[in-house]
Amino acid sequence: MIRFEEVTKVYSGGQQALNKVNFHLKPGEMAFLTGHSGAGKSTLLKLIAMMERPTSGQVFINGHNLNKITKKQVPFARRDIGMIFQNHRLLMDRSVFNNVALPLIIEGYHLSDIKRRVAGALDKVGLLSKLNNMPHTLSGGELQRVGIARAIVNKPPLLLADEPTGNLDPHLSVEILKVFEDLNSVGVAVMIATHDLGLIARMKYHTFTLRQGQMIHDGLSSPDLKESEFEPVI
Amino acid sequence: MSLLFSQRKASGAITTNPGHRFVMFFIRHLQQALASIGELWRMPTSSLLTMAVLGISLALPTTLHLLMKNGQQLRGSWDNAAEITLFVEEGLSENQTQKVLRRIGLYNQVNQVTYIAAEDALEEFKVLSGFGDALSYLDENPLPSVILVVPTAQYSSPEGARELLEKLQAQPEISFGKLDVTWLEKLTAIITLLDDAAFSLGILLLLAVILVIANTIRLSILNRREEIEVLKLVGATNDFIRRPFLYTGIWYGLIGGLIAWICVSLILWWVEGALMELANQLETDLSLSGLNFSEFLTLIMLSSGLGWLGAYGSVMRHVYEIEPENQL
Repeated sequence: MIRFEEVTKVYSGGQQALNKVNFHLKPGEMAFLTGHSGAGKSTLLKLIAMMERPTSGQVFINGHNLNKITKKQVPFARRDIGMIFQNHRLLMDRSVFNNVALPLIIEGYHLSDIKRRVAGALDKVGLLSKLNNMPHTLSGGELQRVGIARAIVNKPPLLLADEPTGNLDPHLSVEILKVFEDLNSVGVAVMIATHDLGLIARMKYHTFTLRQGQMIHDGLSSPDLKESEFEPVI
Repeated sequence: MSLLFSQRKASGAITTNPGHRFVMFFIRHLQQALASIGELWRMPTSSLLTMAVLGISLALPTTLHLLMKNGQQLRGSWDNAAEITLFVEEGLSENQTQKVLRRIGLYNQVNQVTYIAAEDALEEFKVLSGFGDALSYLDENPLPSVILVVPTAQYSSPEGARELLEKLQAQPEISFGKLDVTWLEKLTAIITLLDDAAFSLGILLLLAVILVIANTIRLSILNRREEIEVLKLVGATNDFIRRPFLYTGIWYGLIGGLIAWICVSLILWWVEGALMELANQLETDLSLSGLNFSEFLTLIMLSSGLGWLGAYGSVMRHVYEIEPENQL
């Protein structure tokens, strides 16, 4: 599903964010990407989302080399990737319905289809009753779930999540992870960047660990994962 | 359209029927056009202020246009100012006079020919000058017979009238001709100067309209930066993002144009009142012509076009610049 081959990213300031990273996320797989802040997690996700381009090396999604995707094609490619953000990035002046409907409006769906799919997506995250609420009336966990609904509303085969539980208490975090597990069980590939190690420890999922731009661990969550490799969670 | 996953079917999103796609294209444009009115309506005060500025900026060139138009109509009534006076050779027979009159009348540069015989001229002079009977003491009529020639509109310009005069003077029956063109030349020069000044002023004001709209749209884009970033993240194309801004620009221009039209109508109504007073006192018939329908349409199309142009400039600069990068 996602394949990195010798990917290096050096920012224009000379800062090396990724150094010859190789990994492979299989189709339908759910995996975690860990590492302390500055390790290159965000850069790695940005390369998948085409918000940045690699300095050298290649990124493949479903066998397509992203280096060959032109600037004009980027919006169309992004429609195949659902993205979830730490601060949910909802539009606060629009209702939950309008936020979730955004990807469908962009793709030009019919209103009847939009209504059906938005209801379906909100139902999946358990917020169907909040359809007409404004975002500021929702709690942090609910906002994050609306963000997930927006990411899955056009049924992308791939979901990327950047610290989706970063602002949530442990109980809510588990709830959010449950949503991702449900999505994964119907075949959606999910990649979650997090530094919440407690969260991962309980699960046996494929985990990639970055340190200073290098992939230092690639496999099932293993016992040699040391807390010292990460910055404490603030 | 799925770029990375060819096996993925976008059910409902894209209809394959081209006719239906064509209709949907317009429906979507209409939706976005209406949505951008809604956007303006959400901040009525600032939107109205901007539109008022545009309206006044557009009202000035429109008023100048009307001034020029009415000026030209007035100038049209001065066309016979380029009247040519021809003095006929002495001792011309009645027959010869009729011949030359007919000949001149056939010139296609000539609109009208009037013959004033020496006796008629003397009679007229008696009446108008007030010398009356004193003139009858004269042994003979000192006044010559005169032919008045009015050129066609095309030849009433100073150059044209002079050209015609030379041609007429070449006639053997004509002793000489007179054309007072210096004041006509001066008038024409003044009118040309005013036309040019009005034109350049108009261009400047239209430029101001473009800049005002460009700046308003720029601020609106920057205010909605967050929204634009999110739209780009969920796969919106630049075309999709910029469309509402372009429509907003068109609305600004359109409503500004309407305000300009209202302003100009009010000015006309106001000036017309004063003009009636003047016309009454001068015992003449003065009237102003306002904007006709095609001029009204031109104003509205022009202002909407300027709105689009200003918005386009801003959108090309700023919508493309904004990229979601601060965080994923």
